[in-house]
Amino acid sequence: MERIVQQTDLDALSCKMAAVSKGYLPSKELQENVCGFSDYKTIHLEYFKSIMKNLGRRAQGQINRSLQSSFPVMNYGTYLRTISIDMVLHDYISNHNDDGFIQIVNLGCGSDLRMIPLLSIYPNMSYIDIDYEPTIKLKGNLLGNSEFFGKVLPADRYRLLSCDLSKHDEVINLLKEVTDLTKPTIFITECALCYLKDDDAQLLINSLISTYRKAGLWISYDPIGGGGEGPDGKDDKNDRFGKIMQSNLRETRSLEMPTLLKYRNKDSYSSRFKQLPDVNIDVRIQNLWEYFTKNISDEEKQRLKGLQFLDEIEELQVMQSHYVLLSAQW
Amino acid sequence: MMDSDIDMDVDVQMQDAAGDEQLTAVLSEDHPDAVGNSNGNEDGDLDLDVDLGNDMKPGSSGIADNKSSVPVSLTTSNIDQLDQWIEHITKCQILSEDDVTKLCKMAVDVLQFEQNVQPVNVPVTICGDVHGQFHDLIELFKIGGPCPDTNYLFMGDYVDRGYYSVETVSYLVAMKVRYPNRITILRGNHESRQITQVYGFYDECLRKYGSANVWKMFTDLFDYFPITALVDNQIFCLHGGLSPMIETIDQVRDLNRIQEVPHEGPMCDLLWSDPDDRGGWGISPRGAGFTFGQDISEQFNHTNNLSLIARAHQLVMEGFAWSHQQNVITIFSAPNYCYRCGNQAAIMEVDENHNRQLLQYDPSIRPGEPTVSRKTPDYFL
Repeated sequence: MERIVQQTDLDALSCKMAAVSKGYLPSKELQENVCGFSDYKTIHLEYFKSIMKNLGRRAQGQINRSLQSSFPVMNYGTYLRTISIDMVLHDYISNHNDDGFIQIVNLGCGSDLRMIPLLSIYPNMSYIDIDYEPTIKLKGNLLGNSEFFGKVLPADRYRLLSCDLSKHDEVINLLKEVTDLTKPTIFITECALCYLKDDDAQLLINSLISTYRKAGLWISYDPIGGGGEGPDGKDDKNDRFGKIMQSNLRETRSLEMPTLLKYRNKDSYSSRFKQLPDVNIDVRIQNLWEYFTKNISDEEKQRLKGLQFLDEIEELQVMQSHYVLLSAQW
Repeated sequence: MMDSDIDMDVDVQMQDAAGDEQLTAVLSEDHPDAVGNSNGNEDGDLDLDVDLGNDMKPGSSGIADNKSSVPVSLTTSNIDQLDQWIEHITKCQILSEDDVTKLCKMAVDVLQFEQNVQPVNVPVTICGDVHGQFHDLIELFKIGGPCPDTNYLFMGDYVDRGYYSVETVSYLVAMKVRYPNRITILRGNHESRQITQVYGFYDECLRKYGSANVWKMFTDLFDYFPITALVDNQIFCLHGGLSPMIETIDQVRDLNRIQEVPHEGPMCDLLWSDPDDRGGWGISPRGAGFTFGQDISEQFNHTNNLSLIARAHQLVMEGFAWSHQQNVITIFSAPNYCYRCGNQAAIMEVDENHNRQLLQYDPSIRPGEPTVSRKTPDYFL
């Protein structure tokens, strides 16, 4: 199971590279002008080229194929997932940057490269990537052995830690050694909680928030099963998206998402972040279709429309209504 | 570990082990930021243009080189051959390239004599998008009754997205040639050279036949598909919707349809437009066509003495959706679209007395399809 979950990083990576190669990412309007990111494409291309050399032929073929036939509906989704997290991060950091020091912990980081632009923009930031050991080893090698990354990544403020997220006490112990518990801390779980067992995920959430109780932000992006409450907020028992997703992933790649149908709507997903009675926490959640319709400007929508022929607007709505972005601030 | 996830018919492009350079080629292509120029839009995503060259031009397959100047009737040996092909495809097996050539040549001689507004009689069963979901097409014929006992009108989008576009379009075209008066197949916006290069049919042809020949033949054939149908002078059927440049059905009759679906203009709109809650004409959220409001539909139906516009094109979760106070119906016949949307499918029966009945159905269980050959539908993981 562990290995199967690790493999999902290849999916995320090939989706990301498809979105980059088609021009969805970076967004000039949001990532460059608002967040201040630069060299986004170069950074991603560089990492991508070196990871491909380390992959077997099958994995290469798989990635190759998904790059060549990248559907607009997937590229939009990757764009939305990436942009929405970047923007929540940006808002929080710009409000807390005066506090002197910010820590970001990306739980289940995979091949994500957000730390590079962020660390170069904010000299008072430290960044910790956590994932399974093989993922961390590979990422460490690729970043460490590269002249390019040696220049763009401030190694003194960046750490790669290997740990299994289902063992919350190990995560806490590791983090305690390298972080300052009194400083504002941002946790990111981008398609990470969905692979954990319910109890393991809850313990991880509760123990991290309690440990860093002074100030923090948790950003979480995950699929939700739907049903119960439909995309429009009304009761929608006919919504079978999650059930089908579960059986598709189970049958074709033995991948399990234990809480997909339990935290099937925005309310139930949010409830996991409200389990600590003594922590004052402000939880916001949107599905990504809402994010697309409300948070993305007309100009940006127009730009996206120009990249590929998006024929599948209804399908985009169905899919994006089943992914949520949560930000919990305490 | 990931074996189950890898297609059996592994990629053509990996055979030369030049993965690395190819990737770099794919990735280092420059994609300039959008300029919001709708004419320039398509160019950005057609990476394949580079490799296609001159022999990808419309008509290059040669299927229409010797077309008949008068309608031809089927010979006994034609019928035997068609019956064999149909039986073969029903098992979800592809025809040989030679047979596809023969089939497409025969189909040109049927379709070239159909009209832009093809007249259709009741009773007829009207169907929406199928999108390569071959097993669900077979299910559709179980729900609606076998053809030719039941008359069918399909409103386009046979290819792309699903994994069996080749089988689906081969089957429908073979049925069309075999029973030309029993089944009508209109053109959808996916029956196009450009769209099929983005959405899967081109890749599927390459994978299943090792070359683009079959894709060329079918896309050349698509140019001959009628673009609308008129059921008993009352129900106007088409894939997308209305066009600001078309007020009367006669104006559709005047179009020259034998061409690739253009990027704009009336023929494009008929295949791309959508009804909308807002009145009047609007900009489509898709790459082409317009949105049209209830005022437009009412006016069109009134002007042309119609009772209904039946169209497809949009995923609707119940398989059908009425709009514009029953002036327009959307029918979508691909259940669990793309194997992940969870929607029902529907078809609409119209009987001799113009009674309409909507039949909904769910995805077929796919007994003939081993799990190993199934790809995982894409998710964000």
